[in-house]
Amino acid sequence: MSKSSLMKSKIQRNVYLVGNPNCGKTSLFNAITGERRRVGNWPGVTVQKLEGIANSETANLTICDLPGTYSLTPATPEEEVVLKTIDAAADGCIVNVVDIANFERNLFLTTQLIELGIKPVVSLNCFDSFTKAGGTIDLQKFSTFTGTTPFPTVARTGEGTHNLVEFIGRPDIISVEDCENWLSLPQVWLDAAEEALRLKDLHWHSARPTQRYSALTDLIRLQPDPIVPELIEIRQNLAKKLSEGREIPVKTTNLACELASDRYRRIEKLIAGCAIVPGKNIPAWQEKLDRMLTHRFLGLPIFALMMAWVFWTTFSIGEIPMGWMESLVDWLSGFVQANMQEGLIRELLVGGVISGVGGIIVFIPNILILFFWIALLEDSGYMSRAAFIMDRMMNSIGLHGRAFIPMIMGLGCNVPAVLATRIIDNRFQRLLTMLLIPLVTCAARLPVLVLLCGTFFPENPSIWMFTLFFVNLLVLIFLGQTTSMLFKTSENSPFLLEMPPYRLPTPSSVFHMLYEKAAHFIEKAGTVILAGAVIIWVLSVFPREVPLSFDYESELTRLRSSEITVESTERIAELSRKREIELMEGRYMARLGKFIHPVMEPLGFSWRETVSLIPGFLAKESVVSTLSVLYLPYSDNLGDAMRKTGMTPLTAFVFMMFTLLYIPCIATLGVIWRESGSTRFTALALVVYFAIAYVVSYITLKIGAVLQTSTSIDWFEGLVIITVAIAAGWYLIRTFIVTIRGSRCNSCASCSSCPSRGKSDCSGGQP
Amino acid sequence: MVRTTVTLSELPEGSTATIRDIDALSPTSQRLLDMGFVPGTPIRAVKRAPMGDPTTFEIRGYQVGLRRSESALIDVEIKPDEK
Repeated sequence: MSKSSLMKSKIQRNVYLVGNPNCGKTSLFNAITGERRRVGNWPGVTVQKLEGIANSETANLTICDLPGTYSLTPATPEEEVVLKTIDAAADGCIVNVVDIANFERNLFLTTQLIELGIKPVVSLNCFDSFTKAGGTIDLQKFSTFTGTTPFPTVARTGEGTHNLVEFIGRPDIISVEDCENWLSLPQVWLDAAEEALRLKDLHWHSARPTQRYSALTDLIRLQPDPIVPELIEIRQNLAKKLSEGREIPVKTTNLACELASDRYRRIEKLIAGCAIVPGKNIPAWQEKLDRMLTHRFLGLPIFALMMAWVFWTTFSIGEIPMGWMESLVDWLSGFVQANMQEGLIRELLVGGVISGVGGIIVFIPNILILFFWIALLEDSGYMSRAAFIMDRMMNSIGLHGRAFIPMIMGLGCNVPAVLATRIIDNRFQRLLTMLLIPLVTCAARLPVLVLLCGTFFPENPSIWMFTLFFVNLLVLIFLGQTTSMLFKTSENSPFLLEMPPYRLPTPSSVFHMLYEKAAHFIEKAGTVILAGAVIIWVLSVFPREVPLSFDYESELTRLRSSEITVESTERIAELSRKREIELMEGRYMARLGKFIHPVMEPLGFSWRETVSLIPGFLAKESVVSTLSVLYLPYSDNLGDAMRKTGMTPLTAFVFMMFTLLYIPCIATLGVIWRESGSTRFTALALVVYFAIAYVVSYITLKIGAVLQTSTSIDWFEGLVIITVAIAAGWYLIRTFIVTIRGSRCNSCASCSSCPSRGKSDCSGGQP
Repeated sequence: MVRTTVTLSELPEGSTATIRDIDALSPTSQRLLDMGFVPGTPIRAVKRAPMGDPTTFEIRGYQVGLRRSESALIDVEIKPDEK
């Protein structure tokens, strides 16, 4: 056979990866596909679909990474995708990724697949840590007992993945002779499922996997829906059969428990028959480390120290490469100035493009450092511990412990943070987290803070930044509290926080994360921000002709033609500056700013600040680039220029606060709108942010002004007083609401054993 | 032999017990069952979080954090010798 005909005979196959969260499914996907991937969306739902290409000698494989799930019974929109895709996947090839270091629980999903008649190719992942701990498995027996083909893999290093790809690329995947599958459904259940299917004129042997799944669900569901009398009878018969030979008869409400128990019994039998699982899966050093990191007294300080370290490195170390970037941008604009003909294009390049985008790219080092730490924390497994120790606090603002991860992500950028809220299964919880995320200071808002804090508080900018963060946090807590208080739902999403074993992060996964973040930021800077910068530039240079109050041109010409003295040079400089300012005030931008200005005036903003908030809606980063364009005629140094036009530290502080709160950028709003699927929610959120920003800024301004006039209290003390006042107010309101409601623990599950039962206040039901 | 039945939320830190029953009426139960919280399974309370909630439990060789609201759904049995 010639080579070309071999190429032609390559088969096309769709491969689906299914497995538990944290089983290494995505690592396996990365190992198999490399960089050849495509990110899309599943039809009809806003769940990310990750597809990649892998080529074996005999086939072109399209690899689809399905969302991670513990079981086929969905608890989130993502997991629903797995169930909905399972029919299509059964026609292709399903690779079930099983973390063998966590064998029993991972085999639950495998059992469900086998029960539905699917024969997955099993990737026994994390095989290295399994054998290292002393585990052994007889692959031949595993294969015979389950009717599947197992492949030991180590996805993190790529070990064993080649064999897997070659196997799933074979023209005919030989399925193992199936004498008696140890994981398949027992006859009692099979009979009942057959009967349930018959109600829909279907048969088990010819039914699709999802049809079989829904038959099983009908049997175990708490409230059969729709209530068919025959189904109730089938369930009662099933319960009766299961009760045979037992002391306590099985109730129909306990069928779900029975099925799960049965599955685990089969799994235990299988493992006992073919493998020796190490007694203790968690090494002693990990337990020790865990005990320290989640320690009652040390846990929180360690976490706080880590966060402090992350922040310090991000902003202090990040300054060094920031300086390089700044000089690069300066050099570039100087180069364009020197080598291009004077005209509108050069002005656009220097004034719009270079100064706009350049001002953004300067902050890339910050983002890279921050996400380097986030990647390390996530990959090492510490993020779960952080969520664990922070859960109580998150819970107190009505959030799920898992919401901490999106919130932390919000520090980098609100857009992926909003996307990350998908890990929260309860819709209300998800919406609440989405509402709060824009109040988390994202990396793009840092330029504004760094710049203003450095300009107005040069002695100790970090203290002021910390104060801003703190006020921001208080607002966040307040909003979270009030919202969860107003819309309290009795059912919270189940809190299941898996503690993965500690792992050494691999350089490649950290690199992946950094590359993705930087690319995302540059992409954003390149499109949205550039568009913003250009629009702002257009608004700031048009109309070209502005009526002037004084004939600067002839006066300047006269001065220039006359004898050159020190006086005349000074006069020339002064006149040109005055002309520039007058020109600027006649442009569209200033007109727009002045139009909105009355609304912002109570906050003490000049029209320039007002104007800079407009492009800030496009992307917060644009606030600084707009300010630098607007202040260019006063001084090359933005800080000097702002001081020259009469901005006080107080106004700067209020402006920073307003910028932090007033509105999320358009990209964040876009994802909120898409993720929530509700225009009303998005619009409401918008109003809420603006109102909060306005009120908080106004209060700060007034209190600040009062404090400033009294000489006995200095600035920092004043702010401490404000924050304490806000905290006290929040506590009072909270207590007030609790008081009206009568009790705080009306949704407590262990009512009967609660010592505070019947009392108006509940101390949390602690034993 | 004297056996004590408590809810999982009351299981003292560091002690081991066996799952007896799980509240079938809660919508959370299905997920707990799927994750291996079935009657007869040994379970250990590993660590309570610094602020008192949630608690990590070790079950079937892995660790998972549960809040009091979830762990209160599960009844466990402490044998005197396991205390």
